[in-house]
Amino acid sequence: MSSALIEVRGLQKQYVMGAETVRALRGVDLVIERNEYVAIMGPSGSGKSTFMNLIGCLDTPSAGEYVLNGQPVAGMKDDDLARIRNREIGFVFQTFNLLPRSTALENVELPLVYAGVGKAERKERAAGALGAVELADRLDHRPNELSGGQRQRVAIARALVTRPSIILADEPTGNLDSRTSEEIMALFHRLHAEGQTIIMVTHEPDIAAHADRVVMLKDGIIASDRRQTRVPVGVLAARPESALSEV
Amino acid sequence: MNLTSTREGIGIALDALRSNKVRAFLTTLGIVIGVATVMTMAAAITGFRAMVMENIEAIGPNNFIASRFDGTEIRFSDNHGKDPWEGKPALTFADAEMLEALPAVRTVATSIDVGGEVRAGSRAVGSVQIMGRSADWVEYSRGDFLQGNNYLGVHDQRASNVAVLSPDLAQQLFPSGGAVGRSVRIKGREFLVAGVYKLKDNIFASAMKNWVVVPSTTAIKDLDANYDWMDFLVVTERGFTQERAMDDVTAALRSARGLRPAEENNFALIKQEAFKSMFDRLTGVFFIVMVVLSSIGLIVGGVGVVGIMMISVTERTREIGVRKALGAKSNEILWQFLVESVTVTVIGGAIGLAVATALAGLITATTPVNATIPLWAIFASIMASGGAGIVFGLYPANKAARLDPVEALRHE
Ligand SMILES: Nc1ncnc2c1ncn2[C@@H]1O[C@H](COP(=O)(O)OP(=O)(O)OP(=O)(O)O)[C@@H](O)[C@H]1O
Ligand SMILES: [Mg+2]
Repeated sequence: MSSALIEVRGLQKQYVMGAETVRALRGVDLVIERNEYVAIMGPSGSGKSTFMNLIGCLDTPSAGEYVLNGQPVAGMKDDDLARIRNREIGFVFQTFNLLPRSTALENVELPLVYAGVGKAERKERAAGALGAVELADRLDHRPNELSGGQRQRVAIARALVTRPSIILADEPTGNLDSRTSEEIMALFHRLHAEGQTIIMVTHEPDIAAHADRVVMLKDGIIASDRRQTRVPVGVLAARPESALSEV
Repeated sequence: MNLTSTREGIGIALDALRSNKVRAFLTTLGIVIGVATVMTMAAAITGFRAMVMENIEAIGPNNFIASRFDGTEIRFSDNHGKDPWEGKPALTFADAEMLEALPAVRTVATSIDVGGEVRAGSRAVGSVQIMGRSADWVEYSRGDFLQGNNYLGVHDQRASNVAVLSPDLAQQLFPSGGAVGRSVRIKGREFLVAGVYKLKDNIFASAMKNWVVVPSTTAIKDLDANYDWMDFLVVTERGFTQERAMDDVTAALRSARGLRPAEENNFALIKQEAFKSMFDRLTGVFFIVMVVLSSIGLIVGGVGVVGIMMISVTERTREIGVRKALGAKSNEILWQFLVESVTVTVIGGAIGLAVATALAGLITATTPVNATIPLWAIFASIMASGGAGIVFGLYPANKAARLDPVEALRHE
């Protein structure tokens, strides 16, 4: 048992495609403590998403160890992984992935449905989470009645509502303009300040500049891992090229 | 797999049906047709059965028939190649006389039927049911003389050429009325019309309109009726039970025929229950046919259900990925899609039921049959369509449940 939230040793992932084997991750070692704010960067195809899927228990590694919150995850059964995803992980996706026919409130309730939370408590907590992302007045709106930024905030509320150990965001601002991206970053800052652990994948140095720590992946291994002093919110929008030299 | 996800599944199914009405219609069509057909038939048969039973009741609970063998027993096997009447002697006039003397027996009317043409002057009616009956047939029958009277016992003894006509036959032969006292030619022989008799309204009476009653002796002597096939219409004496009368008739016939205790009866006594069970066997065959038809309908409908559910799973692959990412277990996804397919098929079943109700109403309005859908059939059709939903939803739902979350999230 370790006190670290995430502890990964020699993590590998291979995809077998016919005769060819793609080695998406080739041995990653990483320790992430509670309340860290980590950005994962790297060129396209370097294995960022693959890594996030493993960390998020959506997929199982081909080799290596993964201890999440004291629980060894590698080798767990599907249903146990589902339970861990439900309790420990909050996903934020690039394309939001809200259910189109459901209202904002119903979308945010969904993880609580799978957690077996009763209806009244579910509604209350979902409404609370939407309040926390400043969407208290949009509870009954469907995704197509919301802006991109609002949709991503609903998705973040959905990720938060189970009070997970980690927020995993794979390019959360990838489909948003820079102004809206800043809004989302401001929200992440606040969550981080409240003690939330956040791991996000991004291509954009501006976005990565918000994190305390930047992990660079290249060809399925860690090329660099450095801590940085993060930029205050709002500054980057004005000076986009700042902080890049560091990365 | 709780109430919430069930309700959610139903909601999703209804949404899916609403958003693609044509597809939903085609999907449920097989089930709608299957359920509608079977329910309409069930309603019609139930109504028809009620009517027939009522008419069989009208025969009278104390009457029964003595016959050479029991024709109400439908045999599917061929009785070892023998005819069912083999080794069973015919009933005779002497037997009738002997049985009529029993205290528990009120009357024994001999009964022997044949078909033929009846003429009056230039008018002719073909295939008339010619019923040879001894004069006491009116004791067994329910009805009234509209004109004239019955013939008498003496006519039986003399094998006289006297006849009683059905109202329809009288109307056709003598359109201007006044049949009594006139003469008709039955199978070329001249007969005197003694009366016109109307059977109490029942389904058999309305099915068979043209008939004439003549003494059984005359039918045998002049009209080629086969003496070997004579039956007795037995009426129980007042104050005696039918059971007692049947026991006495059995004992009398056995001793007259010299049967030893170990030997089986070589004659048959048939009471109205026998007709009822014969009818039940017939309707049983109908119901088997119906079950087969409905199964075919449900299978055809089920193939449609597999189709729509596969499309639904494919269209919602990404949604399944999201649900799994949020913590849905495989069983919960399976349940959701099963609920959806059961919703689709039960709606199909309910529409089928509504169609059947309308058709049953039409049957009731346009025919004498009072067609009502029996309660058990409503229950059975809903169960069957729900069952089809489970059976045919299982494959698509299982496919959805087994999707890899990463693959599913990457879909499209
Ligand atoms: N299901 C799969 N089957 C086969 N190969 C895969 C699969 N998923 C990922 N890969 C391969 O693994 C490698 C890493 O992919 P991954 O999606 O992790 O990259 P990434 O860093 O997220 O890239 P991007 O920045 O473009 O999103 C790539 O070469 C990719 O082609
Ligand atoms: Mg990626």
